[in-house]
Amino acid sequence: MDRNQIMKWFKQPHEMSQKYSLWVVYFCTGCGIIEIPPVITSRWDAERFGVIPVATPRQANLFLITGYVSVKTLGAIIRTYEQMSAPKYTVGFGSCPINGGMYWDSYNTIKHLDKYIPVDGWIAGCMPRPEAIFVAVTHLWTMIDKGMATGYIKYKEKYKSYRRNQEKALGKLEWPPLYSMEGKDE
Amino acid sequence: MNKLLKGELESAFKDVLVNILEETRLTATAPKDAVLSILSFLKNKGYDHLALISCVDWIEEKEFELVYVLTSYSEKDRKEHIILKTRILRKKPEFKTVISVFKNAEPYERELHELFGINFEGNERLTPLFLERDYKIPPFRKDFDTREYVKETFDKIPFVEEEKE
Repeated sequence: MDRNQIMKWFKQPHEMSQKYSLWVVYFCTGCGIIEIPPVITSRWDAERFGVIPVATPRQANLFLITGYVSVKTLGAIIRTYEQMSAPKYTVGFGSCPINGGMYWDSYNTIKHLDKYIPVDGWIAGCMPRPEAIFVAVTHLWTMIDKGMATGYIKYKEKYKSYRRNQEKALGKLEWPPLYSMEGKDE
Repeated sequence: MNKLLKGELESAFKDVLVNILEETRLTATAPKDAVLSILSFLKNKGYDHLALISCVDWIEEKEFELVYVLTSYSEKDRKEHIILKTRILRKKPEFKTVISVFKNAEPYERELHELFGINFEGNERLTPLFLERDYKIPPFRKDFDTREYVKETFDKIPFVEEEKE
């Protein structure tokens, strides 16, 4: 913990507790999930960083997208993301969610995840090492301190554009809009 | 065991070409009318597990090749994998279902119907299985241009711009 910020933590203790307990949705998106068991168990022990996997998205506030995202998975990702309670952060793990990776010309995977849900940070590589998750987590702490990890606020503000993109990829969505659909269209 | 089976197959069916690849692997090429009877013949021999139905698109020869892979669970001395191949025309992608012999063929045939556009006569559940989007050409055919498809669909979806007010 940064000693300079002790006074800030006294004033807003909930911010510290949110920052140091990033609970992860245990959601297996692709091959990247193979890195998660060593991360959460004793070899690398993610609990040192306050990162533990939880059973339901309603308890979690960190969403790791671990691998390629097929069109069918995208629907599940959006549903899971919308169920999570704010503040929520998304991290793309591996090169596939960034730009498609090795599936860049595949018929059934979406290429850029940030067209559909807001992503706060990326971990590049195929596969990234488990240490990269800890680098990402510590980086996310700095972002939260500086107020840069605001993906969930952006999602609320630009919900119309996100929803439009989601409908372009998936066709008609089966669930009602999460936020109001009024607002500027870009 | 292998040679015995080869003899049996060739004597029971006329146009079957049997090839022994390895000690435990045997391929049989058959015309499409004989497939159903060969499958039931092999099932009676003890090869009671249909492991897979696959398809190969021979676009230059204008044919699809259907591949049935059979193994045995019940009899321990039968360790071979039998690979039964047959060809159908690419213009008219239709074939009979083998559900009457192997019940577990249903999802495999659904998959081939979705990815290659092959219509299995008699299978009543040829509904979408994996794919969410509509494709003009089934995506596993060789003439499906994935790069063109990606350019037209996924690349045209715009980014949600961050700074624009």
